[in-house]
Amino acid sequence: MTEVSKLQGQDCLLENGLSNDEERALTNFILLEAQYADESHYEEWEAMWSSAPDATYWVPRGPHALDPEKHVSLIFDNRARLATRIRQLKTGYRFAQIPVSPMRRVVSNIVMRRSSNEDAEGADVYEVESNFVLVEIAVQSTNNQNIWAGRTLHRIRREDGQLKLHSKRVLLVNGDEPIASIAFLL
Amino acid sequence: MQAQTANRSIDYRALIQPDKVEGSLYTSSEIFNDELEQIWYKTWVFVGHTSEIPKAGDYISRNIGLQPVIMLRDKTGAINVFSNRCAHRGTKLCNQVSGNVRAIVCPYHGWAYDLSGRLVEAPHGGEYSAEFMASKGLAKLPRMGEYRGFIFASLAEDGPTLDEHLGRSKAFIDRFVELSPEQEIELTAGWVRHKYQANWKMLYENDTDGYHPEFTHASFLQAIDTQVVDYVGKKDMLTEPVIKDWGDGHTELEFGTGYRHSGNPFEWFGRASPSKFPNYVAAMDEKYGAELSLQKMIDGPPHAIIFPNLFIAELSVVIFEPVSADQSVQWHCPAFFKGAPEVNRRMIRQAEGALGPGGFLVADDQIVAERNQQGLMARSPQWLDISRGMGTEIPDVENEGVVIGEMVSELTNRAFWEKYKSLMDVETTTNSQGTAE
Repeated sequence: MTEVSKLQGQDCLLENGLSNDEERALTNFILLEAQYADESHYEEWEAMWSSAPDATYWVPRGPHALDPEKHVSLIFDNRARLATRIRQLKTGYRFAQIPVSPMRRVVSNIVMRRSSNEDAEGADVYEVESNFVLVEIAVQSTNNQNIWAGRTLHRIRREDGQLKLHSKRVLLVNGDEPIASIAFLL
Repeated sequence: MQAQTANRSIDYRALIQPDKVEGSLYTSSEIFNDELEQIWYKTWVFVGHTSEIPKAGDYISRNIGLQPVIMLRDKTGAINVFSNRCAHRGTKLCNQVSGNVRAIVCPYHGWAYDLSGRLVEAPHGGEYSAEFMASKGLAKLPRMGEYRGFIFASLAEDGPTLDEHLGRSKAFIDRFVELSPEQEIELTAGWVRHKYQANWKMLYENDTDGYHPEFTHASFLQAIDTQVVDYVGKKDMLTEPVIKDWGDGHTELEFGTGYRHSGNPFEWFGRASPSKFPNYVAAMDEKYGAELSLQKMIDGPPHAIIFPNLFIAELSVVIFEPVSADQSVQWHCPAFFKGAPEVNRRMIRQAEGALGPGGFLVADDQIVAERNQQGLMARSPQWLDISRGMGTEIPDVENEGVVIGEMVSELTNRAFWEKYKSLMDVETTTNSQGTAE
């Protein structure tokens, strides 16, 4: 095996068993999700999520995925808490996002694979990994231009024929450093 | 020895008055430098918790003011706090937030220290005498002390003892650790560090401010079904949450009065049903007897600050770290109650919900603090008002010397500033250099 094959997700680059249609659909899915987040289209963003109670929006503390049962995370929302997060953003009083941060992210270095998720019951389940670089202006207070970067793992599954986001894990490069508000959608 | 003195040109008595404080206290770099000397390098400062370094060679690195320190456990189990600096040429030795080492080796010239801080090797050391080697150990901080697992240090040789410094605030730690059936908390979940472009005093003042939640946290109160909704904006000092001045700069936003009035255990735990934690309740009952156990589970943990940097934030421990006049970091770590593993997961989730850069509460506090910092660059008006509730305080009949104010009073701000003034307003200052020699 070549050196590069040790990289996480490498097998998916070489041979992931996905059809071109599947790859295109998954790529479009995460790009659309990124655009909704960038533009703070909360309802459209939330509508991409599965309604399963165990759906998870997770930002571990630090560049590694520390066990969330033992370690504090920056964000660890189950589906109910994620709904609360969106509800809070929509109150008009979430000062950490008033006004919303102007943001643009670039999503790249995508690898994907079919997942063998236990509770899938034969349905299509996919994992998509990608890097992002996100430029955000903290217009709520300092007007600092923040550069956020990291690697995202989307778990996407087909529910009633539609692709739905079942979990999103964001490993921030600077997640274990002192950081300012991430009240926007990562 | 580098003796530092407060800036005599600043008249702190004029800047800090009973009902108002001057804006420059938050914005001036000169004042920030005075605070380093008069507060951070003199008084007792919380460094870390024994549970963070359970094994020999475990260390954490923190700052006291701007001075990097390490708290390290040696082979005998003893804990020391040292300057995080090579005794040779000043290199910062431990650059990770925490870790485990067999020895501390400087990357510059290979000087190696054992876990008790002794210099054990200096390459090409034949030129150094035994006396020289013995004198070049890691610089131990002049004073260190522990209270129920909480480690504090002082960079001053002299001054009040830790016991005197903590004073009545030991009750906060007592109330907290006694929620563990083994009377110990553990800080092993890691620390989130939240960056504020704002002065450290805003972190302190905001965290026991009972006046702001209805406004700063309006979105939280609207979006979330939580017990907090019933405990904000209150004015009845007997049945509703209050704020308290415990003396010596220690302050509290006491929800317990409200919890006691409700009579329900776990109001503070998102109104969880006791049936969710049968083993915890049983262990508490076993430890304290049913009556006292129930009382502790009704009262809940404190929401209180030990001056200057330790905030026991109900289910988390919070540290305030000053960086400059307009930069601070607020650290938080959810606590675990030793002997109660079934509540730990909920402790983590509750901390994430409330605190830090992604939390439903504190992300908004950061923004408001930063807006305060910017607003204060305007020199007019000159003063910040902290007069609210003056003259309406009542004595706390359960705690002698403690004063109670209604939740929306500014008693805790006044208590902070009184302590601050007592430390900053000095005619002649003592040596506050930071190394033991």
